[in-house]
Amino acid sequence: MTRIDPETRIPDPIELDRAEEDRLRSVAGLLPLRTESGEYAGFEQVGIPDRPPQTDRERDVYSLGEGEMLVNMGPQHPSTHGVMRLVVKVRGEIIVDIDPVLGYLHRGIEKLCENATYTTVLTYVDPMDYLSTMHNEHAPAIAFEKLYGIRAPRRAEYIRALVVELNRIFSHGLMMGFLALDMGGITPILYAFINRDEIVDMLSAISGQRMLFNFFRVGGVNFDMNDEFLSRLGTWRGRVLKNIEMNEGLITGNEIFRSRTINMGTLSGQDAISLGVTGPNLRASGVPFDVRKAKPYSIYNELEFEIITQSGGDSYSRYLQRIAEIKQSIHLIDQIIDKMPHGPVQAQVPGIIRPKPGRAYGAVESPRGLYSVYAISDGGPNPYRFRMRDPSFISLQALPKLMPGRLVADTMAVMASFDPVMGGVDK
Amino acid sequence: MAIDRSAGSSPIVIPDQAREDGLLREFGMEEHPQGGFHGLLEVIPTKADYILDLIRANSLWPLLSGLSCCAIEMMSTATSVNDIDRFGMFPFRASPRQADVLIVAGTLTTKMAGPLVRLWEQMPEPKWCVAMGTCTTSGGRFKRSYSVVQGVDRVMPVDVYVPGCPPRPEGLIYGMMKLHELVKQRRGQWATYVDRGPQRTRWEGDVR
Amino acid sequence: MRLLTERTDIGLRDLWTDEDTVEFQVDAPRAHDVLRTLRDDPDLAFFMLADAAAVDYGIGQRFEVVYHLFSWKHPGWLRIRAHVDRAEPRIASITDLWEGAMFHEREMYDMMGIVFDGNRDLRRIYMSPDYRSFPQRRDFVLPDDAADSSAAGVNPLERPETWDLTLFNRAPAVTFPTSELRDDAPGEAVEDGTTLADTSRPR
Repeated sequence: MTRIDPETRIPDPIELDRAEEDRLRSVAGLLPLRTESGEYAGFEQVGIPDRPPQTDRERDVYSLGEGEMLVNMGPQHPSTHGVMRLVVKVRGEIIVDIDPVLGYLHRGIEKLCENATYTTVLTYVDPMDYLSTMHNEHAPAIAFEKLYGIRAPRRAEYIRALVVELNRIFSHGLMMGFLALDMGGITPILYAFINRDEIVDMLSAISGQRMLFNFFRVGGVNFDMNDEFLSRLGTWRGRVLKNIEMNEGLITGNEIFRSRTINMGTLSGQDAISLGVTGPNLRASGVPFDVRKAKPYSIYNELEFEIITQSGGDSYSRYLQRIAEIKQSIHLIDQIIDKMPHGPVQAQVPGIIRPKPGRAYGAVESPRGLYSVYAISDGGPNPYRFRMRDPSFISLQALPKLMPGRLVADTMAVMASFDPVMGGVDK
Repeated sequence: MAIDRSAGSSPIVIPDQAREDGLLREFGMEEHPQGGFHGLLEVIPTKADYILDLIRANSLWPLLSGLSCCAIEMMSTATSVNDIDRFGMFPFRASPRQADVLIVAGTLTTKMAGPLVRLWEQMPEPKWCVAMGTCTTSGGRFKRSYSVVQGVDRVMPVDVYVPGCPPRPEGLIYGMMKLHELVKQRRGQWATYVDRGPQRTRWEGDVR
Repeated sequence: MRLLTERTDIGLRDLWTDEDTVEFQVDAPRAHDVLRTLRDDPDLAFFMLADAAAVDYGIGQRFEVVYHLFSWKHPGWLRIRAHVDRAEPRIASITDLWEGAMFHEREMYDMMGIVFDGNRDLRRIYMSPDYRSFPQRRDFVLPDDAADSSAAGVNPLERPETWDLTLFNRAPAVTFPTSELRDDAPGEAVEDGTTLADTSRPR
């Protein structure tokens, strides 16, 4: 036990002069408490490593002006998008800058896929964007079929489109729920999950799995539609419009929701294109780009649908865009069921396929945007390079452009309206 | 702080001045490495602790630590169709200080391991950990990945493993039932500090 | 599609056309200008960068940065493959053309080690900032021994040679006190298979 000399007086920090305190801290090896304006903030502020800034932007973000503060949001936070960390530089309640720190869910899927056969790759990509699993599998299936030089049978393409649209419906429904949840409303997420559970039980009847459906194969799909799937589909179809409208009625006219989303996070079409934002976010800013119309894949050139756009570019438009897309998807499902042909559901493909050397690019419209796969084959059983372009990853770049000047509480609302899924962001 | 568990030493430190007065004396805990009362005195705490364990089991509050796909199934367990509110687990607390159970749902990567361990350490005792999904049990489908921790039990002690990719909500509820058994089996051992051993194994990215 | 590429007139090589993709290769120093022309020329009008990827062709070979572009005026995707030297992987950044390329380039830097000149924020995005390797390169070797990976916590259960098989023959380390009032309380020694957790059924 150290003995403290009672004659020693430990000075109260308040009594110290500012310079004296800084001198003591520097002697102790700590960074000064109050940085000069514009000085690099360092470790004590927010847990960033105690090292010089590596890039210009890092220096801009982590240098504090007068009255500014760095606040960490995440990686664990009540907003349910997954593990993302936002380092937010605030002055009071107003955001000055945002730096998203990603990689908390990076699983190395691209590298793992280089050691897997083409069919196994289709299972590895499931947990990327885990809310739109069918789209995750659709894009590599298209790319691999191009590499191998085959086409899936028509019935398989129709089943693919059917499950893909079902996936889009529940993914958009979940976005509505998460958007309300991030603003504090707990009921819509429950409704969204009821909707999701219905659809997911239906999809588990056809694919065997509730969430990471291992359903697509190179050359078709794995299973044909069965009685349980069709009966659930019919029951669900009878109820879904009313359910969606009930859920929508909870939120759309809600005064709190409207005041928190209208004119929030307004993204112009030009900015959106430059930032690489695609999908409903881009269409809500007025740009009529839909991969299903621009580069029709599967059987989308046989289905009739219009590209929906909204004129605002704010969170409310993105929300309305997704509701409209749900209704569009239901309309598409009706057409698909009407036109479903008979036939096989999988092409005759060997167990381990060895496509000729080449490159292929397959793009689909996922609920978050343009989801594409660039695959290079070297003639062996494994792809030489398997690269996925995830839309949520690129859409996140809009956040540092949109948020400065807004309040901290709007961050989550705006981010939820972009609907990122961290599995896709971090691969 | 090291508590000496060898036989013959008491886990409770009595200050020197207190030994003189007869009011405070040791309870002879050296015979019980896990602590707890002894003999007839055990009757009363046993009954009350049984009820206390029941109360704890039926209102385990999970921490929102959904990392990945299993988080969606955890949320699906928490919402209306598979309602985990009937077991008392509705409030998914955002703050670790208020949570009992850490349901690690989703792949744990090396970058996230540090924050997750910090969350675990911030949770006050009694706390339990449920490893949901195969990614947290053993690395799962990312077995040979360069950035996935091969099982969350490499960094924190786990009480219940729920396999599945993702486990069905019914599976997670079954895991919660097993956790209830575990909690109710404690049977009064919370009366004193229970040495659970090292709280985690040390890992290379550890900052301490 | 041929005439559009002849219009650009910038020393391309290896034009290749597929049913829906036109592809050509350029050298790294020219990639930026080619992309600028493709974007700004009113007849070409490739306004959207769909994807920017990096490919490693092996230890003695080259890197490639592959851009995919889209235009309303032309059917199919346009793929530009820029050859980057593997010994000194530098290429001009296209963040001045498309802001959305920032994250693409950060990811390419993180995974492959390609340096983008002119990128204001070239730091690691997926791995920790102090990670010292480039995972998606072909010569990145995943260490077999779990103890060598960056998430090490050696789990002895994964190495059978460390299993202590005498464990099951020993007396249990923990003994619970007896209880006179509850007859189903555990006795002096806890045997496997008799606790509530083992014998109870899920309710």
